Amino acid sequence: MARGPEAPSLANAVLAWCVAGFILAPLIIIVPMSFSAASSFEFPPLRYWLGHYRTYFSSADWLQPTLNSFLVGIASSALTLLVATPAAFAVNRREFAGRRALQILLLTPMLVPSIIMAISYYSVFGSLGLNQTYTGIILAHSCVSIPVVLIAMSASLRNLDRNLERAAAICGATPTQSFRLVTLPLLRPAFILAGFFAFIHSFDEATISLFISGREVSTLPKRMFASIHLEADPVVAVVSALMIFIAVFAMAIATLLRQRRQPARA
Amino acid sequence: MKPGIPTWLLLLPAVAYLVLVFGAPLGNTFWMSITEPSLGLQNFETILTDPLYARVYLRTVLVAASVTLLCLGFGYPLAHYMARRGGLAAALLLGICGLCFWISYLVRTYAWTVILGNRGPVTAVARWLGIEPPPVLLFTTTASLIAMTHILLPYMVLTLYVVLARIDPNLIRAAHSLGASRWQSFTAVVLPLSLPAVVSGCLLVFIFCVGFYVTPTLLGSPRDMMISSLIANEIEALLDFGSASALAMMLLAAILVLLTIYDRLVGIDRIMR
Repeated sequence: MARGPEAPSLANAVLAWCVAGFILAPLIIIVPMSFSAASSFEFPPLRYWLGHYRTYFSSADWLQPTLNSFLVGIASSALTLLVATPAAFAVNRREFAGRRALQILLLTPMLVPSIIMAISYYSVFGSLGLNQTYTGIILAHSCVSIPVVLIAMSASLRNLDRNLERAAAICGATPTQSFRLVTLPLLRPAFILAGFFAFIHSFDEATISLFISGREVSTLPKRMFASIHLEADPVVAVVSALMIFIAVFAMAIATLLRQRRQPARA
Repeated sequence: MKPGIPTWLLLLPAVAYLVLVFGAPLGNTFWMSITEPSLGLQNFETILTDPLYARVYLRTVLVAASVTLLCLGFGYPLAHYMARRGGLAAALLLGICGLCFWISYLVRTYAWTVILGNRGPVTAVARWLGIEPPPVLLFTTTASLIAMTHILLPYMVLTLYVVLARIDPNLIRAAHSLGASRWQSFTAVVLPLSLPAVVSGCLLVFIFCVGFYVTPTLLGSPRDMMISSLIANEIEALLDFGSASALAMMLLAAILVLLTIYDRLVGIDRIMR
């Protein structure tokens, strides 16, 4: 902790904690909302019960989109890992002409507004018969999460101590052996983390899904969008609360993974 | 990766995927913008001359600029405090910002519909203070402004924090030993050193904000559309693919200009670092 003239002033501290409160408060408000007994959005709730949780867990109208989101998230993050990992190796470990341009190109799906991609997929997938199919959503989500996987994998690849691979080579390992026995095991947490980020990215994606997923393969964000739009369904509070619980849990796991990765860096 | 695999082969899957699933649909949208309903630039002519569209562009820029300034105004003190304080408090605040990246922006948008809704806490407080009728906030530009600031704030904070934390505290100590006040050492040392991060954070937030669709649609006024809602509206309500595509291409062009500026000033590949 800083002492002396470089330490922040009291005014700065007060302001900072207020901003942190502004960031955190809306997320905290959702939890009591999900236990509300009211039939619409009301805060603070007058009475509490578990009714909305029961509604959520017994209604196919909500469970199907949840399942769809999981399916799409898992499939698209697996696809993205397959496609983007070799590229992550290339841009981090090889020198080649146009490397910087390629890096920028690989990051653009993150920087182009989703609404542009949404209408583009809507019309192209429309003529290919891919609208309202799992394939369509998985393809689209994989595309927009390429930058996410690339960024996550690059961070891990840079932190990986290459002396370990050199040591393997000195001990007589062939490049294939050193890759299989040293590099891959060291990168396992990185794969899990990158896949996780891609999954979350897909799980949160709403704009593209709004356009290309129909009723049958509707994702959870699409379902939530509809229910917030109509301002009628308090189950959305339950879904939101569950998502916050999962986020806190996921962050804890990610922190643990990162800590486990530290020794490999040393 | 083992040296046996040529670089181009490593790049092939990602590049092929991007060309087919990213480039081709965008190319198709560009094609539609100049061929729907007939070949020519009439779609662009309409969207560039109709004052109705001009109002939407102006509003989008104003909203995005306001959100950017709000994010900077809120984000800078927080990032500065985290960087200078360090220790457990900084870790905790960093955790709070980090948590936001794990929570869907739909969840956060929903939270604001509750907070700003006519049965939410803001209305209750206004009533309690005797403000009758309480202010209508939901479905106004103010509502989408607040929510977008809330959603984009963590990006700003983290961008600023990374740079502010790297400033050597000895520089501040040196300024003090030379007789600078707290405020002087901030304006003469810390602020200039953090300017690149300010530019980078502002551009990032502005770029994200210009293309925001879900939050303004759910919280904003349907009469005060932003460009992304307008694009969606052309398709959903009017089935006018031509002008929707032309609008999308205009937005894309604007984003590309901003990205080029970002690349010149900061370097897009720095996002990976």
